[in-house]
Amino acid sequence: MEPIVEVENVSKQFGPITALAGVTLDVPSGIIYGLLGPSGSGKTTLIRLIAGAMRASAGQVRVFGRPQPSRANAARIGYMTQAAALYPDLSLRENLTFFGTLYGLDDRRLRERVEAIAAEVELADRLDSPLHTFSGGMRQRASLACALLHEPDLLILDEPTVGLDPVLRRAFWERFRRLAAAGRTLIVSSHVMDEADRCDRLAFLREGRLLATGSPSELRQITEQANLEDAFLALAAGTGSLLEGGVR
Amino acid sequence: MNLRRILALATRIVHQFRRDRRTLFLLFVVPVLVLSLLAWIYRGDGASPVTLAIVNEGQSPLAAQIVTGLQEDASLTVREMDAAAAMRALDQGEVDAVLTLPADLSLRPGGPPQQIEVTLDGSDPSTTSAVMGALTRTLPETVVRAVNPAGLPIQIEPRFLHGGPEFDRLDYLAPVIIGFFVFFFVFLLTSVSFLRERSEGSIERLIVSPLGRGEIVLGYMLGFTLFAALQAAVTVLFAVYALRIHYVGNLGLVFLFTLLLTLGAVNLGIFLSTFARTELQVVQFIPLVIVPQALLSGILWPIDSLPEPLQWLAHALPLTYAAEALRGVMIRGDGLAALWVNLAVLAGFAVLMIVLGTSTLRREAA
Repeated sequence: MEPIVEVENVSKQFGPITALAGVTLDVPSGIIYGLLGPSGSGKTTLIRLIAGAMRASAGQVRVFGRPQPSRANAARIGYMTQAAALYPDLSLRENLTFFGTLYGLDDRRLRERVEAIAAEVELADRLDSPLHTFSGGMRQRASLACALLHEPDLLILDEPTVGLDPVLRRAFWERFRRLAAAGRTLIVSSHVMDEADRCDRLAFLREGRLLATGSPSELRQITEQANLEDAFLALAAGTGSLLEGGVR
Repeated sequence: MNLRRILALATRIVHQFRRDRRTLFLLFVVPVLVLSLLAWIYRGDGASPVTLAIVNEGQSPLAAQIVTGLQEDASLTVREMDAAAAMRALDQGEVDAVLTLPADLSLRPGGPPQQIEVTLDGSDPSTTSAVMGALTRTLPETVVRAVNPAGLPIQIEPRFLHGGPEFDRLDYLAPVIIGFFVFFFVFLLTSVSFLRERSEGSIERLIVSPLGRGEIVLGYMLGFTLFAALQAAVTVLFAVYALRIHYVGNLGLVFLFTLLLTLGAVNLGIFLSTFARTELQVVQFIPLVIVPQALLSGILWPIDSLPEPLQWLAHALPLTYAAEALRGVMIRGDGLAALWVNLAVLAGFAVLMIVLGTSTLRREAA
């Protein structure tokens, strides 16, 4: 089956700074794909390129077989940015209605989805409160709700669990697993290594370069390490020539 | 282009400002307060602005007549005192000028002109010109009356093409104030809300959504046009019905020019917000964008009275054309036939700003 996302030798320059250098990876359908790396490793840049928020300086990103950014892809992608990036003066219902309308949901379906998604992220009782009254965790759930509202085939989540307490974090990952089981594809970035094991496939990024890709067990195997943090360290310190370009 | 998405964005902007009491106050109450203040300043019964001390050294009949004439002048408060007291009063600021009528003042037809001395404080040019204006207005009349009780043999009889004898500074200012507030507030609010869109990251969500760049610009224009139209309506109605300013024009044209000014201001805000990272930096644009327009666009001084290079500059500012048009519509009852140049310039400014505003959004995704 053709991969949902194909990243081909992609580089991104911001003036003199190289944020990404020659990254190549494929994301197959219906899995949770983890982008792991410390801050400044290029995760957000890669995520923004896949989401279509900007253009690559070199190489090509294709989503659903079409080069990004593509207007035709926009409605099938859900994007949760790192900051909540919603409108704090508006209520959750107004935020959801706004984004739902942008994604072309009609009025009846919009009403249904707003109620359903608010219940799903356990904010049904706060639908009419302005977002500036929300705690950090509630805001993150609201942000996730906005990304899920239009039932996208591809969900791109930039550090969705940062700052969440362990209970909420587990609930988020259980939700991600259910979505993948329902056939959706998820790309999730994280800098927390203990989240890596929850992904089906991983890409390790460091300083704008891809260290390796593979399933968690594959990555443990090739580095002969018991846990993924050690695997990352081994890859980061190891000979680039062996691993660069990825282990598929 | 999808109307539903554009409307969603406009509705969102309305929702955002609906609850923001401070902004609503700024939009709808401040213009009314400023107009009321101006009405008070220009129309209120102020104390007679100029106090004149008269030192009558002799008691000649002519001197007595001059004193009576000056006392009848509504713009002057006249106090008779002796020379020493008058100079002290002038020094202490109790009077604005001292007029000394010499003892031997009399009419000597054919003789050399007689000198009457006026001592002025001189530190405030507007007081100086008020005193000199009142004296040059009243003295000749009074002197002529001494010979001919009917007064000056030739009288000026004014007839007005527009306005009228009761037409005052407020009538002249109000139309322009309406345009100025629309431009100022729309520019400020668009820049700040666009800046927030960037700094809170929601612009990123808009860019990856099916919403097109053109739709973002249209949605913003629609949302802010609604507020600008409401503001113009409140201000015009208040000025016309509460302050009873002179108004003979067509309300539709007032809204047309306000609309064009709004479209320009929204997109100028979107464009300039790219060059600001904080709300303070947006405020720093005000002296650059707003103050020159307030000074040069004919709000305070007629453009014809400016030095020539400044007149050129004034004609490069959109508010100049809006101010001229609003004045034309409201005071002279001009129609589009007389104002098509203003209409074309404002439309051109709006189009230029729309192009700039849209192109900054395009760069966003680079």
